[in-house]
Amino acid sequence: MARTYADRGFLFLFVYVREAHPGEHYGAHRTMEDKLACARAFREQLAIERPILVDDLQGTAHRLYGLLPNMTYVIARGGRVLFRSDWTDPPTLELLLNYYLNTRQQRRAGARLTPFYAEFISYRVNDRQQFIERLKIAGPQAVDDYLHMVQIWAQQAPPEE
Amino acid sequence: MSENVLQSDEYNFRIFSGQGDFEGFPSVLRAGQGAPDFSATLLETGQPVRLSDYWRQWDLVVEFGSFT
Repeated sequence: MARTYADRGFLFLFVYVREAHPGEHYGAHRTMEDKLACARAFREQLAIERPILVDDLQGTAHRLYGLLPNMTYVIARGGRVLFRSDWTDPPTLELLLNYYLNTRQQRRAGARLTPFYAEFISYRVNDRQQFIERLKIAGPQAVDDYLHMVQIWAQQAPPEE
Repeated sequence: MSENVLQSDEYNFRIFSGQGDFEGFPSVLRAGQGAPDFSATLLETGQPVRLSDYWRQWDLVVEFGSFT
């Protein structure tokens, strides 16, 4: 997606934050060197081409933007937040980027546009088995900790009507 | 131990237990507001960069995440 939208003026960046599911192979960062090593492994094993900005060890950037494990932001040239989501979902992002490109086209065609604020709930496909498979990369502890939380969440969930 | 190291140990948790306040997310920042600027290390070069270095020239799509 980054390549598709790059020549339309969108630069995709990745901000590397704390490990969301630390395990034996990729653990909680104790030093900046740990964090950089994990970021390098991420880049190489997932063939990431986007620039990767590694946040400091205290999570300064992460805190400013909401501390969630996988957020997406769209920021206009000049620094205004256009879009923010508490998960990353490519189909949702594609919808938004096409919308902004269309807005740009309308402006170029002379339309007089005024921004307004909107919110919406989006939906993402949640394949738990696939997620657990990916957690194995971090190590068995990461899988165990996640499955433990799944049980706790199930107990906390309100009864279905 | 300096305060930064203590905060860092708490931030960089060892055991996943659902960290992250999803309900509080809407109140951290709003679409329409200015994006907070910050400094980070560009992995490719090891050099410090600021997010504003990029939004000066481009519209940005910024994903936050980690390997795990």
